[in-house]
Amino acid sequence: MTVTDMSQRKKFFANDNVYLPHIAIIEKVIDETPGVKTFHFNFKDEKLRKEFSFNSGQFAEYSVLGVGEAPFCISSSPSRSDHLEFATQQVGKVTNALHRLGVGAEIGFRGPYGNGFPLDFLQGKNLVFVGGGIGLAPLRSLIWNAIDNRDKYENIDIIYGARSPDDLCFKYDLDAWDKDKTINITSTIDKEDKSWSGRVGFVPKVLEEVAPSASNTVAIVCGPPVMIRFTFPVLIKLGFTPEQMITTLEKKMKCGIGKCGRCNIGNLYVCRDGPVFTYAQIKNFVSSEY
Amino acid sequence: MSASKKISKKDIVKILSQWNQEFAVLVPSKEGDVTRMARWDGKDTGFMDSHRNTVQPVKANFFPPMEEMFSFQKNKEGYHIELASPDEHKLLIFAIRPCDANALAILDMAFKDGYEDPYYLSRRKGTVLIGLGCTNPYGSCFCTSMGGSPFDSTNVDIMLTDIGNEFLIEEITEAGKELVARTEELEEAKKTDEAKAKQVKETSYNKVTRKIDTRDIDKKLLASFENKDYWEKVSAKCISCGICTFLCPTCYCFDINDDLLKKQGARFRSWDSCAFPVYTRMPMENPRVEKWRRVRQKVCHKFEFFPMSFGSIACVGCGRCIRLCPVNWDITQTIESVPEIT
Amino acid sequence: MKNSEIEQRLRQEAKALLEQGKVDYIVGYEAGSLKFTTTPLITRNKDDVERLIVSPFIVNNLSVYLAEIKGRVGIAAKGCDSRSIVNLMQDNKIAREDVVIMGIPCPGLIDLKKIELLLGKDRDELDSVTRDNDRAVITIDGKEKDFPMAEVLFDNCLECEFPVPRESDVLLGEPCALVTGEVSKKTGIKELEAMPRRERWNYWKEEFSRCIRCYACRNVCPACFCQRCFVEESEPQWVSPTPKWQDNLMFQVTRNIHVAGRCTDCGECERACPMNIPLRSLAKKMYDIVDELFQYKAGTDKNASPLLTAYEAIEAEDFIR
Repeated sequence: MTVTDMSQRKKFFANDNVYLPHIAIIEKVIDETPGVKTFHFNFKDEKLRKEFSFNSGQFAEYSVLGVGEAPFCISSSPSRSDHLEFATQQVGKVTNALHRLGVGAEIGFRGPYGNGFPLDFLQGKNLVFVGGGIGLAPLRSLIWNAIDNRDKYENIDIIYGARSPDDLCFKYDLDAWDKDKTINITSTIDKEDKSWSGRVGFVPKVLEEVAPSASNTVAIVCGPPVMIRFTFPVLIKLGFTPEQMITTLEKKMKCGIGKCGRCNIGNLYVCRDGPVFTYAQIKNFVSSEY
Repeated sequence: MSASKKISKKDIVKILSQWNQEFAVLVPSKEGDVTRMARWDGKDTGFMDSHRNTVQPVKANFFPPMEEMFSFQKNKEGYHIELASPDEHKLLIFAIRPCDANALAILDMAFKDGYEDPYYLSRRKGTVLIGLGCTNPYGSCFCTSMGGSPFDSTNVDIMLTDIGNEFLIEEITEAGKELVARTEELEEAKKTDEAKAKQVKETSYNKVTRKIDTRDIDKKLLASFENKDYWEKVSAKCISCGICTFLCPTCYCFDINDDLLKKQGARFRSWDSCAFPVYTRMPMENPRVEKWRRVRQKVCHKFEFFPMSFGSIACVGCGRCIRLCPVNWDITQTIESVPEIT
Repeated sequence: MKNSEIEQRLRQEAKALLEQGKVDYIVGYEAGSLKFTTTPLITRNKDDVERLIVSPFIVNNLSVYLAEIKGRVGIAAKGCDSRSIVNLMQDNKIAREDVVIMGIPCPGLIDLKKIELLLGKDRDELDSVTRDNDRAVITIDGKEKDFPMAEVLFDNCLECEFPVPRESDVLLGEPCALVTGEVSKKTGIKELEAMPRRERWNYWKEEFSRCIRCYACRNVCPACFCQRCFVEESEPQWVSPTPKWQDNLMFQVTRNIHVAGRCTDCGECERACPMNIPLRSLAKKMYDIVDELFQYKAGTDKNASPLLTAYEAIEAEDFIR
């Protein structure tokens, strides 16, 4: 039938209806940056709490009932499952409503959706994570997953940047990864700032300077579309083949399950056949639509 | 297929009344001069005069313009979500045209694939389709170019042919056979009836004069995907309304929105269209601001992307988009104008 | 003047404009892909002007394209269309020097829906429909039937006040006689106003229950040129995107208010509606209210300030109590 085999995907339906959200309760709210928050949450239903599982890179549709629903990746790692996390920037109706919620508030959750990162393909390889701004959210799920299964992967390099020091997300992660001797992390900000003594420069440029080896390596890229577009040519220059470059894309979504039509790139739906894609998959298509 | 029975037009109320015991019978109806399939009231026979397809496609009976997905309430214990109770009746659609029946088969693929859509599929389950062949196609019809025909019975349970005072019955599926077997007051068909039906079918087939060639259309569209000049020319007169999408029997894009009044509300889905700029608009960017990208999406989805995933062009040649477009934008002209692959 | 003569002049004029480089695009009407139907022609190519036509079916208000076309445009305009063009200039959407208006004096357009209702046949089942002075002659299966023009013209054509384009660079024909008549009884403003309130409310509730929010009414309207329509706002959400009749009615009424003072009664909203909702009854009522309160008819005076966006100190303020 369609492009992607869905039969192995785990389905946690409420009442056999894929559109019905599960109720979850917010347990913690972290202010990442002005405008970005991370929410820690857990399902109200005990049974679901125990049974639920997902893969890094998958996303879910989160509801504020009565306001609407929006897709965000699950930013926590499957290897640390005492609670779940997602991060969101305040940009519109649903996110404004989410940002007004505090600990104890109830939200709707539908998921996990999407294909997730291809762990089998990544095993035994060097991993280079290239992230920008809130784009670190899906990457951090995989980074922590990789750290918790460290011997499955070779070198881990992280290049992460934001507009300014205030815009760096997950600062607690950046500190932890900095301390981890088995990882190389390079943080950067776009322009000079008095409070920043580290590297300065746009992420694609810093990637070029760090110049990780392409041999037996997979690059995983996530950030603002403009950052992704400029990162790919740099990776190609460094010798990465299109199959060695992975990204996770974002599109306007409503159903999250490949039915409502709006998140398509060609015959692929970002919600169903993605959001994780290799550069090989998308480069043919739509130079201007990802 | 063998035909052995026929419905005399003067007996139509008797026949439909029997079926009305078991099913919710839908017949072509008029509301505000707009034709659609709606619940038969038990006595009206006005639909017998309608000799052409309805304005609103049959998809609206399975995938309505607006439907409640679930309702919710908030009390001391938190949110409580409730599904609306499903409609218990099975549907019987009388006089569905072959193009609309073929369209349902296309929609079935989309709504079944991957995650099954419970709302559409629960309505579809057990539906019986009584097809009526078209003896008077519109000038806008082009079903014969899209793998169908005025008497294509591939996706109906029974096919009726209008032979004057009667409808000749052809049993197509098991469900159709069984229905005929338990229906009373049907007449026996004569050999002359079958000969007449054959003639009617041939004449009708030749009345479909609008034709297009869709060979390799998916490859041609892929080759022209980045041809901005071509798409700008093709899309120039489109006004980006939703008529072609909403009245297309195979279009199925939808929007999901919540309604809230104090502490209770509901989530609805409603028809949406890739022609609207707001369809793909995110807070930070919109990949299809320009009209030519949206028109390209419409054409390529139906003639290239959907076939890539499901093996069938998502168009049945019903011609509603051509007839009802306020500026007479014509998909058949566009398909014929896609540049050859060089 | 015969349509064929106006047509010849239109083609000559359009070709000259392109050849002399006075415009970048020509916008006019060409034969559509269905019987009798016409469709907009938007072209830069001087060879395409041979396809331009003038017929009793040139319904589209082509000024709807002016705001989006980047460049100078030579546009074919009927009386109502030219008023819409003047509106766009008053609203600063286009500059006068960027448009060459080729005016078509219009004796009224034939409403194929009315003919279909009169004859009980669809348009593609008719052989021909022609205008013979004040009668419409229709041929079906070789037999002729004729009707008074007043029975087959569009409602807004029957109430037309400005059939000759008030603003044009070249007038392609001579002023023609108006045909007036009674608009469709079922949905006329007089009939609706005669209904008791509860009945009228139920009437509109039923009509708007058919609305599917295709936004054709909004998109054919030259006065609706907002980049972001109020229905597309989510914060605050003025009207739900879900097509409940209450929201559908609110959408249409609000739209009428937004175009008040700029609506020229071209009738396109009602013609475009696939659900046969009598939108013109609302639009024309607003048009009449504007005329009554302000003695203002949109697009008739290019030097006038736009009615509801210009303020003058001497304006009456009797609404402030």
